[in-house]
Amino acid sequence: MSATKIGSNQVESSVPRHAAAVPYPWPFDGDLRRQNTALVVIDMQTDFCGKGGYIDLLGYDISLTRACIEPIGRVLSTFRSRGMAVFHTREGHRPDLADLPENKRWRSRRAPSGVGIGDRGPCGRVLVRGEPGWEIIPELAPRSGEAIVDKPGKGSFCATDFELLLRLRGIRNLVLVGITTDVCVHTTMREANDRGFECIVLRDCCAATDPRNHDAALVMVTMQEGVFGAVSDSRALLEALP
Amino acid sequence: MARTIVKAEPDPIDIELDRTAVVMIDMQRDFLLPGGFGEALGNDVSRLNAAVGPCAKLLEAARAKGMLVVHTREGHRPDMTDAPKAKVERGAPTMRIGAEGPMGRILIRGEAGHDIVADLAPKAGEPVVDKPGKGAFYATDLQSILQNKGIENLIVCGVTTEVCVHTTVREANDRGYRCIVPGDCCASYFPEFHDVGLRMIKAQGGIFGWVSDSKRVLEALS
Repeated sequence: MSATKIGSNQVESSVPRHAAAVPYPWPFDGDLRRQNTALVVIDMQTDFCGKGGYIDLLGYDISLTRACIEPIGRVLSTFRSRGMAVFHTREGHRPDLADLPENKRWRSRRAPSGVGIGDRGPCGRVLVRGEPGWEIIPELAPRSGEAIVDKPGKGSFCATDFELLLRLRGIRNLVLVGITTDVCVHTTMREANDRGFECIVLRDCCAATDPRNHDAALVMVTMQEGVFGAVSDSRALLEALP
Repeated sequence: MARTIVKAEPDPIDIELDRTAVVMIDMQRDFLLPGGFGEALGNDVSRLNAAVGPCAKLLEAARAKGMLVVHTREGHRPDMTDAPKAKVERGAPTMRIGAEGPMGRILIRGEAGHDIVADLAPKAGEPVVDKPGKGAFYATDLQSILQNKGIENLIVCGVTTEVCVHTTVREANDRGYRCIVPGDCCASYFPEFHDVGLRMIKAQGGIFGWVSDSKRVLEALS
């Protein structure tokens, strides 16, 4: 049994440590340490859970996507207090929309409001970097030292430096939270899984615009003995966290 | 759709202007200006400056044709979480990435030395791609932008020929883009590397792309 030094005077034992999860105790090998585990808070932006944001304009009930704010806040403060890595992502586009695919814009403009990505809404230009609606909500605002990854797509690895940041920091385990479960959380989980990261998604810390999609997306993770990783909740993860 | 033929080696290349972008690599103050990081390392920056005039002419012609122009900058986040240790720890400690250099912290985004020289400053609507590595495709959104704009061909200019230009051309070539490198729009601190770098691109029937020069590209755009 080896021991890993953390900081100047703490020693972290490599005794296997798991969080209760479905379909297997996570992580697979019990290598759950402060240094190799990161929290990834996905797209907690006004556009996805705030009044006048994109999701609100699309006519969805934002109380659904807001329900995970409080549980995420608890997990976030634990990661912070333990000095563990925290990453935030934001979906959004360059102001000139050079990174916005034509079909993504076209589809977004079919909303009843007619306000699509790049158009001006109550919270500024929808999903455009630098606009109020694109900012992370104040309850979960990033702190200094927490990397923010700006992504033009659903997945956090596509067209970003996210993987580079994770590799350089020595991260192997990812705790995924945020919105929405079936879209950006799932895409990120799939990308991460294919790259060899060990992922867990916390059911009470994510949400979808349709609860059926939230449920189905979580079931999908657990198929085939955990095809994309494992599913748990904030309580079980926090109990296991070193 | 406007088509043109650019005279180049190993062969002339037929391009649609709507599907062709100019990629201006790392024409940053720290690499080019006297008193910058490049010169502080003992390099002769006049060699790099020789490419500025031809690049400016090529940019002007590309803009007049309404072609997509993309600029890249090599550099890192201020907290350097995207800077590999192996990259940072090379060279004398006072001249490392993140150290206070002649024009701000060396190769750090937001610092004066990291920005593009005035003669080649990006115009509104021209994407600027910040890259942490040598290649412009690695850990960036360049490919998304090129795809969205329907780009198939790249005219790759900038510095230095054998490092960031070459890496970007190789990445682009593997991704299916046809690359034209106008030799006088690129430069290196080491003239022999510049020359051999260009030869490598056009060897074996154009294994990485086509080599031309600003005069012949301007002819094709006129």
